[in-house]
Amino acid sequence: MNPSVKFILVTLSMLVIAFFFNPWTPLLFWLGIILLQLTMSHINWKLWLLFMLPFSIGAFGYLWTTVVFGAETGGTIIWSFAGIDVTEEQWARALSLAFRVMAFSTLSLLFAFTTDPVKFIMSLMQQMKLSPKLSYGVMVGYQFLPVMKDEFTQIQQAQRLRGAETKKYSWQRLLSMRRVLIPMLAGAVRKAERSAFAMEARGFTGEPRSAFYHPVQIDRTDWLMSGIFLILLLTSCIGGSWLS
Amino acid sequence: MLKSWKLKEVVLMSLFAVVFGIVYLLFVHAANIWAAVIGPLAYEWMFGIWFIVSIICMYIIRKPGAAFLSETMAATIEVLIGNAVGPRLILSGVIQGLGAEAVFALTGYKHFNILVLMLAGIGSAVFSFVYGYFVSGYAALDPSFVALMFTIRVLSGAIIAGIGGKYIGDALLATGSLRGYAIAHAKKGDVNA
Repeated sequence: MNPSVKFILVTLSMLVIAFFFNPWTPLLFWLGIILLQLTMSHINWKLWLLFMLPFSIGAFGYLWTTVVFGAETGGTIIWSFAGIDVTEEQWARALSLAFRVMAFSTLSLLFAFTTDPVKFIMSLMQQMKLSPKLSYGVMVGYQFLPVMKDEFTQIQQAQRLRGAETKKYSWQRLLSMRRVLIPMLAGAVRKAERSAFAMEARGFTGEPRSAFYHPVQIDRTDWLMSGIFLILLLTSCIGGSWLS
Repeated sequence: MLKSWKLKEVVLMSLFAVVFGIVYLLFVHAANIWAAVIGPLAYEWMFGIWFIVSIICMYIIRKPGAAFLSETMAATIEVLIGNAVGPRLILSGVIQGLGAEAVFALTGYKHFNILVLMLAGIGSAVFSFVYGYFVSGYAALDPSFVALMFTIRVLSGAIIAGIGGKYIGDALLATGSLRGYAIAHAKKGDVNA
């Protein structure tokens, strides 16, 4: 599927779902997305579960803070716990927010697991008319990722060699991150300059162009998938309002 | 808008976006673990970290769009690396970038002192809060709790993004690698830069 089309669909449905505060809409949508993923894509489900784990915990965090700190809405009290009365309305809203977190993260995983990064940038440039200067700039940055990783260990080793102590606790290490950050950024500045000169020397002008080495197209599957996606979105919106 | 940009400035922005994209992701994970314990309030005080790249890039490059583009790029890189928050991050990056950009645009891209940088951090905070209010459904929370979240986020934007951004920018300037960028010319009092 075309990455740009997928990107627009995912963003659109997130914005639409954000309008609904009943628990059913996000729940229906969430189940629908999982069904879509089960039937239409081949992904590593073990990895998927691993990624979903922090979000499930986050959703739980949302659930209980909304119950405790939620706006006073009145309605029948369904249960009380430690002096906090939970009304029906509050419970519905809390569930809705929690399901929303789940639906959004599933949707995000759908995108992350099925999209090739390079193809995404190429598609942004070709379908969304993103300036080549920007898209190739991002590509350069992306290709430098492994180099950056090496540099990070190198700087750390160099500092250890000179006797800079490593902190014991992880939060202390987080605070002393600037010691590594500044050399890394300085290195990034120099690399940026060098690769920009190299690109210009090879004739890169950054002008918009009409022909590409790797064309990315929109085809029939894109229309079909967009249709299925929009139907799912519509069904969960209408079904959600009707069920509550 | 990009006509006046040199390629090296675009690539510089992209590399910064890579570095901070990684930093951002680390903090997303840290914040997610936090959030499970104390709820959405966990994100607020560290929100400034996620605005920092736009402040640093604008401080260095000083051209219209630097804040907006760099934040968007950082978000895109985060998505490219592959993470579970997904494409929604790009949208929040766009919005945070716009917040900072708006402040710089209001000052006419002429002043880059600590006050403006802090205001830019606040701009990002306000924009991202409005967006978060909508997407994360803060409307369902108690108004006083929302007000508390908002205050913490604005402070975080001003302190971490504004002051921290200037600090990193100055430290980088001291390494001497920024010759050839607007920040170095400005220090020498070169008006044409």
